[in-house]
Amino acid sequence: MKKKVLSALLVAAMTATMFAGCGDKKTDEGTTPATQGGSAETQSEITDYGSGDIKIWVADNVVDFTKEKAEEFLASNDAFSGYTVTVEAVGEGDAAGNMITDVEGGADIYGFAQDQISRLVAAGALQPIVGDYATWVTENNDADSVNATKVGDQMWAFPMTSDNGYFLYYDKSVVTDPSSLEQIVADCEAAGKNFYFEINSGWYQPAFFFGTGCEFTYETDTDANFTACNMDYASDKGVVALKEIIELASSKCFQNGSSWDKATDCAAIVDGTWDSAAIKSGLGDNFACAKLPSFTGSDGQTYQLGGFSGFKLLGIKPQTEEGKAAVCYQLAQYLTSSEVQTARYEAVGWGPSNTEAQAADAVQSDVALTALREQIPNDVPQGNYPGDYWTLATSLGDTIISHDLNTKTSDEDLMKTLQDFQDTCIGYAK
Amino acid sequence: MAAEKKLHKQHRTASNVAAYIALIIISIIWLFPFVCIVLQSFRSFNLEPGGMVNYLVPKTFSLDSYKWLFSGDSQFFKWYGNTLIIATFVAIGQTIMVLMVSYALSRMRFKGRELLMRFWLILGMFPGFLTMICLYFLLKNFGLTQQGAIPGLILISVASSGMGYYVCKGFFDTIPKSLDEAARIDGASRARIFLTMTIPLSKPIIIYTALTAFMAPWCDYIFASYVAFGCSDKYNVAVALYRWVNTNDYQGYFTRFCAGGILVAVPVTILFMCLQKYYVEGVTGGAVKG
Amino acid sequence: MKDSKKSAGNKIAGFFKWIGRDIADIGVTFKEGDWKTRLSFIIMGFGPLMRKLYARGIAFLALEIAFFYYIITFGWGYLQKFTTLGTQQAGWNDAGLRVYGDNSFLILLYGLLTIIFMLAFILLWRMNVRENRKEELQLKAGHPLKTNKQDLHSLLDSNFDKTLLALPMAGIFVFTVLPILFMICVAFTNYDYNHQAPSKLFTWVGFENFKNLFSFGTAGFGSTFFKVLGWTLIWAFFATFLNYFVGMAVAILINKKGVKFKKLWRTILVMTIAVPQFVSLLYVSKMFANDGLINSYFMKWGWIDSPIPFWTNPMLARVVIILINLWVGIPYVMLITTGILMNIPEDLYESARIDGANAWQMFRKITLPYMLFVTGPYLLTSYTGNLNNFNIIFLLSGGGPQNMKLTGGAGGTDLLVTWLYKMTVNDTNYCMAAVIGIMVFVVTAVISLIVYGILPSVKDEEGFQ
Repeated sequence: MKKKVLSALLVAAMTATMFAGCGDKKTDEGTTPATQGGSAETQSEITDYGSGDIKIWVADNVVDFTKEKAEEFLASNDAFSGYTVTVEAVGEGDAAGNMITDVEGGADIYGFAQDQISRLVAAGALQPIVGDYATWVTENNDADSVNATKVGDQMWAFPMTSDNGYFLYYDKSVVTDPSSLEQIVADCEAAGKNFYFEINSGWYQPAFFFGTGCEFTYETDTDANFTACNMDYASDKGVVALKEIIELASSKCFQNGSSWDKATDCAAIVDGTWDSAAIKSGLGDNFACAKLPSFTGSDGQTYQLGGFSGFKLLGIKPQTEEGKAAVCYQLAQYLTSSEVQTARYEAVGWGPSNTEAQAADAVQSDVALTALREQIPNDVPQGNYPGDYWTLATSLGDTIISHDLNTKTSDEDLMKTLQDFQDTCIGYAK
Repeated sequence: MAAEKKLHKQHRTASNVAAYIALIIISIIWLFPFVCIVLQSFRSFNLEPGGMVNYLVPKTFSLDSYKWLFSGDSQFFKWYGNTLIIATFVAIGQTIMVLMVSYALSRMRFKGRELLMRFWLILGMFPGFLTMICLYFLLKNFGLTQQGAIPGLILISVASSGMGYYVCKGFFDTIPKSLDEAARIDGASRARIFLTMTIPLSKPIIIYTALTAFMAPWCDYIFASYVAFGCSDKYNVAVALYRWVNTNDYQGYFTRFCAGGILVAVPVTILFMCLQKYYVEGVTGGAVKG
Repeated sequence: MKDSKKSAGNKIAGFFKWIGRDIADIGVTFKEGDWKTRLSFIIMGFGPLMRKLYARGIAFLALEIAFFYYIITFGWGYLQKFTTLGTQQAGWNDAGLRVYGDNSFLILLYGLLTIIFMLAFILLWRMNVRENRKEELQLKAGHPLKTNKQDLHSLLDSNFDKTLLALPMAGIFVFTVLPILFMICVAFTNYDYNHQAPSKLFTWVGFENFKNLFSFGTAGFGSTFFKVLGWTLIWAFFATFLNYFVGMAVAILINKKGVKFKKLWRTILVMTIAVPQFVSLLYVSKMFANDGLINSYFMKWGWIDSPIPFWTNPMLARVVIILINLWVGIPYVMLITTGILMNIPEDLYESARIDGANAWQMFRKITLPYMLFVTGPYLLTSYTGNLNNFNIIFLLSGGGPQNMKLTGGAGGTDLLVTWLYKMTVNDTNYCMAAVIGIMVFVVTAVISLIVYGILPSVKDEEGFQ
């Protein structure tokens, strides 16, 4: 009879956002997910969930943590006794690639960074989050992270962290004024140290363009097709940003990179919270972090660097068995709950997306997270971007790093490059 | 006359000195990366960064990285074992396949022989990566991916190895046919000749085939990671090590990577050095025969 | 080579004549055959079984049964959908669960397999008919048929090749031929990240992908393809010939009279073969990075002011890769040439020396021609091998640096094969990858054909026997 309960719940939700695979059946867009049915508690009244193994993929440093929590969860309810969990270390980048290669061989629950969501939805590698779960996510997480789980109007994942943004880590003994890009570069050059900024990554590169006020977003439908692109890189603002990247790349202290582990002689690095522990131990007493600096553009104005604020998400792969689907939903919900997010912050320092967990004192006073919080007002919440964009951005970055575009390149040529870039980006949205 | 001889001798000594200097420089260039890797692997993991550094000689020498590999925290020996199993079976399987094909093509004359050789030559012109996705799903069909990745990888390596018959066939071609003819007149069957005459004569080529087959799985990180994804128990050592340097999830694993690399390289190198003679014979024979 | 070109037309005509004769032969077999033979047209192996050739009869019958079993239970279902590659896309049921529909990937794969099996079955059937004819004629002529025992024993003797080749050929068919045919088919579909089986369907698109490869707009692959192809050819040229000559020089140096510890020098070089490349080359790659060991030390010593862009400048990256490839390739060449060098008759040099030739002249007039003649085929295989030399490029530069002037994520040092890899693994753009794969094949095949034409014929198989 468990099937009845679960299906009643899901039917209500799914009929609202039914997906018909065949192209000509149009999805009902804009319908709000239904909210009737029981809460998570009433679902646990279902007594027979069947049995099986739930495969979970998460980043290496939270494997043990996740295994412990998932086992606790299964042990908390006798109804789940038929299930076991296997937790594997599959990094967020690999997870998406592997899920797309072979959905059936992939994990039931897996962590991934937000930039992968549209690819994953397009490849059919995510189970929609509907009904009470969607309500729960909306009510308990910060608004940007909730938006990050959506493609079109449909929610596809549980937000796990709200810390996938970047800011500046620096060596106090070298960098005197972390609020000015020019000063950071000058200090690093003087000390013969390196400044790492991964400008050939589509994720870090927009820091400059968003800083000068450029726009770049895509609109998607519920099937993860890109329908429109709002972009104005090919403008005077864009040229200012591009010139600034070129200026930075021409410094002898500039290094392209964002991994502390692979950085040498590093006095400043634009990086995210995941590297915080490593950098802290590397820099010792000289460890410091701040929001991204501002720079004086070629037009004489001062701009604050922007960026993407992104999120780590936990997705469920499309399930074919009712019992297992229910367990996966509940397990993923638990793994992203306030309690587990707090514990995860304590274990590995990942900044929570859950509003209750965010309010905790420890989180509020965390230096890295504070720097990130200061940066976020300048950031653009990361929406959906087509896979080809990331490759294209690498091309633009590499063109700058190889000095094909350099300080001597004329404004017209820069504009032409940006126009090509923009045209190609717009071309991805059909 | 004597002066001329002396001059000649001087000239010779000078050119020998030049040769030695050249050889020493070459040796330094060739050994330098290995020396670096060895040095990195001894860098103390606790006192110095485990990632990339800008100096060569560690400030503190220690066995931290090796200790870690041997400790329970890492599955290194599981992966090492997996690779050893794969390499052993691949070496046996490939050798058998290659011997079978080479003998048939070298000694037997049958309809379609030329056609078959030309067809295989053409097949070899397709890049291997092309078919990776297809091979993955073929293996998956047999249940030989993820949990079954080890037999899967062995199967893939062995199944198509018959196409690499050139060197071995070239060797068989040099064994005089008159030996076979004589044995056949005595009433020996082809199979008997193959098993009791040709194979014992082919020790160098068998060792060469087995050695190259054995070495390949230690370097296979691409297809192996494709087949075993999401199942770390079944990784081979190359997949695991490659992940340490190529994924941002692993901070400070560089010295461990170097230590792991050394542990892989040492036995393979020793084996290689012992069997170098056969390897040279095989390579040279293969090159001359094409 | 030339003969085959001339007679290409004749060959085609000959083929059709042969087909005609074959069909006529089948008719004759049926007309002149007895009831056993005629029944064999439907029940394969019936004739041999009735003539007490159980081994052959059972083999034919078993294969026929297996074939029809395969078609009925498995193959037919896939073959039916082969023209569309499936119509029923995966969806969600009322309970919100995944319902998988047609899997285009499997339809294409098994559809192809079924077609191949059907062709094979036709051949098998023909063999069956011919077998019957042969047996009948033999009996008519009064010759006894071979016994089953003889039949089976021949598999170890006169038919030993069949025994030996059965397993390798089966393996190559399943794991090489079938996948290659499959990927050739994929080149004519839209199988990419938006059409990923099993959740989405993909379908036939004709020559769309080839058009894309040869389109020259901003987003088209055309100019990028030719740039990558150009570098691939240049790279293979340098990787082959530079290694060859420098390697030979090193071999000559080590073989030089008066140089001691020959074995030691050789062993040092050969170590690069034994140490896995993903360890050594990955390290070398980091060593040359902008923030790597070499740049760090050069800057520390004050030799340079800013890092040398070994990997980030496309031209420099290419040069560095070719040089590092020397490090990888010389030991092989050294091993190969050492043996051959020692085979050059010493009296050739003696007489040259008496004629007053110096070392360089002797090298040019004696050593080089000899080496080139003997190692011609090696140079060819080495060249085609280098066209697809994945490891060096992938581990050293990863194909980078990319450039705005190149589309499809290609970089300045990308070979066709590394580009193909990126498309398969990073972009899961299988259909374009398949097109590139076919192009790699075409390039390799064309070069091989041309060079085979030029090479002095050393392919005399029987020469040594």
